[in-house]
Amino acid sequence: MIRSFLVIAVLFSSPAFSEVSFERLAAISETPDSLEGRFVQEKYLKVLEAGLVSSGVFSYKKGEHLRWETLEPISNKLVLTPTSVVTKQDEKELVALPAGASTVTSVLSEILFSVLTANWNNLSKYFELSGDVDNGSWRVELLPTDVTIAAAISKIELSGETLLQKIILYEKQGDSTTIEFFDQQQ
Amino acid sequence: MIKPQVHSILAVVWLFVIAVLSIVIAGKEVKFSSSIFLLLPESDQSVLIRHAGDQISKDFSKRLVLLLSGPDEAHVRNTVEILTEKLSAIEDTAEVFWRIDEAAASGINEALFDYRFAVLTPETRARLLDADYATISEQALRRIYSLLSIGQNSILDDPFALYSPTRWVAEGRLNYEISNSLLKVTGVEQPTYLMLLKLVGEPFEPDVQRRILDIIQGVESDPDITIEKSGMLLHAAAGARQASAEISTIGLGSIVGIIVLVLVVFRRIKPLGLMFIPISVGYFVAAIVTSLVFEEVHLVTLAFGAGLVGVSIDYALHFLCERRVLLSHQILPRLLPGLMLGLFSSVMAYAAQALAPFPGLRQMAVFSVTGLIAAWLTVVLWFPWLTRKQSIQPLVLAQKFALLRQKFPVLPVSKVSVSVCSVLILLAVMTLYSAAGIDDVRLLQTSPRSLVVEDQKVSNALGVPSSTQFILVRSKALEASLQKEEQLIPYLEALKRAGLLSGFQAISSVLPSLNRQDENLGMVSALYGYRLHDLLAQLKLADEKIEDAFNSFDVLQAHRLTPEAWNELEISTQWKNFIVSSDKGDIASLIRLSGLKSGQGREQLMALIDADADLLFVDQIQNNTDLLTRFRIEISRWVALAFLLIFSVLVFRYKQQVWRIVLPPLMASILTLALLVQIEQGINLFHIMALILVLGIGLDMGIFLAETDGSSHTWLAVSLSCVTSLMAFGLLALSKTPVLHHFGITVLLGLSLVWLLVIAMRAGQNDEAKI
Repeated sequence: MIRSFLVIAVLFSSPAFSEVSFERLAAISETPDSLEGRFVQEKYLKVLEAGLVSSGVFSYKKGEHLRWETLEPISNKLVLTPTSVVTKQDEKELVALPAGASTVTSVLSEILFSVLTANWNNLSKYFELSGDVDNGSWRVELLPTDVTIAAAISKIELSGETLLQKIILYEKQGDSTTIEFFDQQQ
Repeated sequence: MIKPQVHSILAVVWLFVIAVLSIVIAGKEVKFSSSIFLLLPESDQSVLIRHAGDQISKDFSKRLVLLLSGPDEAHVRNTVEILTEKLSAIEDTAEVFWRIDEAAASGINEALFDYRFAVLTPETRARLLDADYATISEQALRRIYSLLSIGQNSILDDPFALYSPTRWVAEGRLNYEISNSLLKVTGVEQPTYLMLLKLVGEPFEPDVQRRILDIIQGVESDPDITIEKSGMLLHAAAGARQASAEISTIGLGSIVGIIVLVLVVFRRIKPLGLMFIPISVGYFVAAIVTSLVFEEVHLVTLAFGAGLVGVSIDYALHFLCERRVLLSHQILPRLLPGLMLGLFSSVMAYAAQALAPFPGLRQMAVFSVTGLIAAWLTVVLWFPWLTRKQSIQPLVLAQKFALLRQKFPVLPVSKVSVSVCSVLILLAVMTLYSAAGIDDVRLLQTSPRSLVVEDQKVSNALGVPSSTQFILVRSKALEASLQKEEQLIPYLEALKRAGLLSGFQAISSVLPSLNRQDENLGMVSALYGYRLHDLLAQLKLADEKIEDAFNSFDVLQAHRLTPEAWNELEISTQWKNFIVSSDKGDIASLIRLSGLKSGQGREQLMALIDADADLLFVDQIQNNTDLLTRFRIEISRWVALAFLLIFSVLVFRYKQQVWRIVLPPLMASILTLALLVQIEQGINLFHIMALILVLGIGLDMGIFLAETDGSSHTWLAVSLSCVTSLMAFGLLALSKTPVLHHFGITVLLGLSLVWLLVIAMRAGQNDEAKI
């Protein structure tokens, strides 16, 4: 098992490979069967002076689900599957978005699922990729090509070393969200 | 009887009348209709139902849904564009709906956003009604922190996330999302895109069908693209294909058969031409008079009226056969009583329909009665002149047929034969008594199975609601209807929860009554008062920002979605069929139902509906079925009555011999019905219509034979008209179109039986005597 969420670092350590493409990423990355860890999310809203910080844990099981559990400051459990999004609260299902729920939300859940599980093929449907690799760390920028997504998201930045460490999501109207990952274990 | 000069004058007058009618009709636009509602008795309530039903079916019949799918998404998208371009280029398409511009979509969102405080989701409203502000605040926080809360509106404008864009769209819309401007169907495996085609006119024109289907087939030849289609156009095209196939087999067969038969009997071409003159005049005059009397001529009238006018072939054949043994000036005095009684009996049988309280039947009666009279007048007034040069020349076949007939046993009037007939009739009546009618319109479904399956597939993929069942909420003003809907909806929700109803669509869900909007605004005002400051302070918003949030509500706190404002919104076009109005100012909104369970579900719903006089449940399929049932029963009743009347008139002229005339068609009718119950599992309207034809021809046979004491030429004439009618209509039994098949098999059985019975019950002693 390759020890990485997005196995890029070693193979991309030379500057010759600094041109990144979905095909290359797909060729060398392998998604682990399962992964879990902690995350810290910071939201910057235009109307707020300080960012809104929240944190929690996540776990991933290949092809099945991604659990996203916010613990602080308010508890919220989100389960993404390739076909649905379910918000859970006290083990009660609150909002169930079936795959057909339309609008940005369902596309968004698909993108997040793809980003967190490195499904580059799926991302290529919605984004154009650019980035660089330098001394074991890498940075990828995703620019939406899909107009529906472009209406909400202006840019997504992904960066990491052996594993994906940071996501920055820039929204169209100026807000942004940063998510950092810690203590990732397969 | 009639003097020759008077006769000539009348003949000219008749020609003149036809000419005048032709001129009148040339200046008038004849409107044809296929609306089932036109056949229904009119009442105040049915105006709204008719409008509602017509709106739905008109929309439906002009729409063609296409689902394009394939393994390669880019290729599918590309094909959608190419196909759109091709379809838009022809003049038959009014509109192709295939993309939603993102800018337009966000425009819709902006327009609706202003109503976020007045129009609430059912969940939010329920919480506000419970004053469950804690949950609302908690949800708001969750949303703000959520991973998925991207592209949301500013937390100042809508801190509690009251605005729900998905709902506005999802309530009335099909299962698709906007994917890069195109309409992508959700919840299916392969990438699938939706195209909606709207036709300019009706889908029944063969040219329109060909042009559109040719384009689609051109694209379908691409092995990587699958197109699933649904729409009336396809059914109409399939129907037309079947009809033209049947015309070229059954139709051609019967025409060739009739021509050969007439040529064999008369050995000349002229009688063939003469035969068709009265029928053509009959159809022509009937169509003109009907379109003058009625605003719109129904297609059903044309189809069946035409069949009934077919009886008039009797008059022509009777005349032509007798003309071979009688001179031009002798013939009318001899034939007129019989022809008159024949016309009288048929007119009575047909006119009986006019007394039934259905406009559709009245139209049919007018058509068939005028057609019959016109054909009759043509024979009586024109034939003597048209055949003036013909010499006496008995038909060879009349003699041969007479010899053949003599070998056929005459049913002796004895106790045995009377008992056998009685038992037969009794058995038949018993079968009929226990039989049920088969009036379900779905049994008349003519489309090929594969088309129905494809329709179903498309409807399922798109989540199209059933358009055949709905509730009409009637009132004098839209506001009142909306309020009533709002009272009703909790009960419908309960039915849904109980699994008795799978869904419903109501316009009040997107356009609540002003009353309800006021209520909502009041509750949101309270929510802001109690919770907004706390929520925003918790997020550490500066005081002036919090002030902004309050202001954002204040500006809109009297902003309601009025019906006028609603009509301005683009989204309202999807809902325009949910409101109907009559000329009298009555208005009704309609709630469309899908998946209503029969039995318990229907009972509980009906209990709700019956409790309120303003509510009306409409089931279009059931309505049509009921209509057919009522037509069938009414017609049967009036025909029976007409038969009694005819009988009492005939008794006067034929005294004890009347049974020879009346019994064969009567017995044939009863036996045919009993046989139909066995063969077709029941009787419907179209069987009965055909039976009127059988009765008409049967009575003519009896009358003509009685009038000439069973002369050989009369025998030949009535047999000939029987066989030609069998060929013209009886062969329809082979048709795959259920309605035509029903009509055909009845004529086939009925006329065969009439003929056999007439021969068996003939006055045998006259066999040799007359020619």
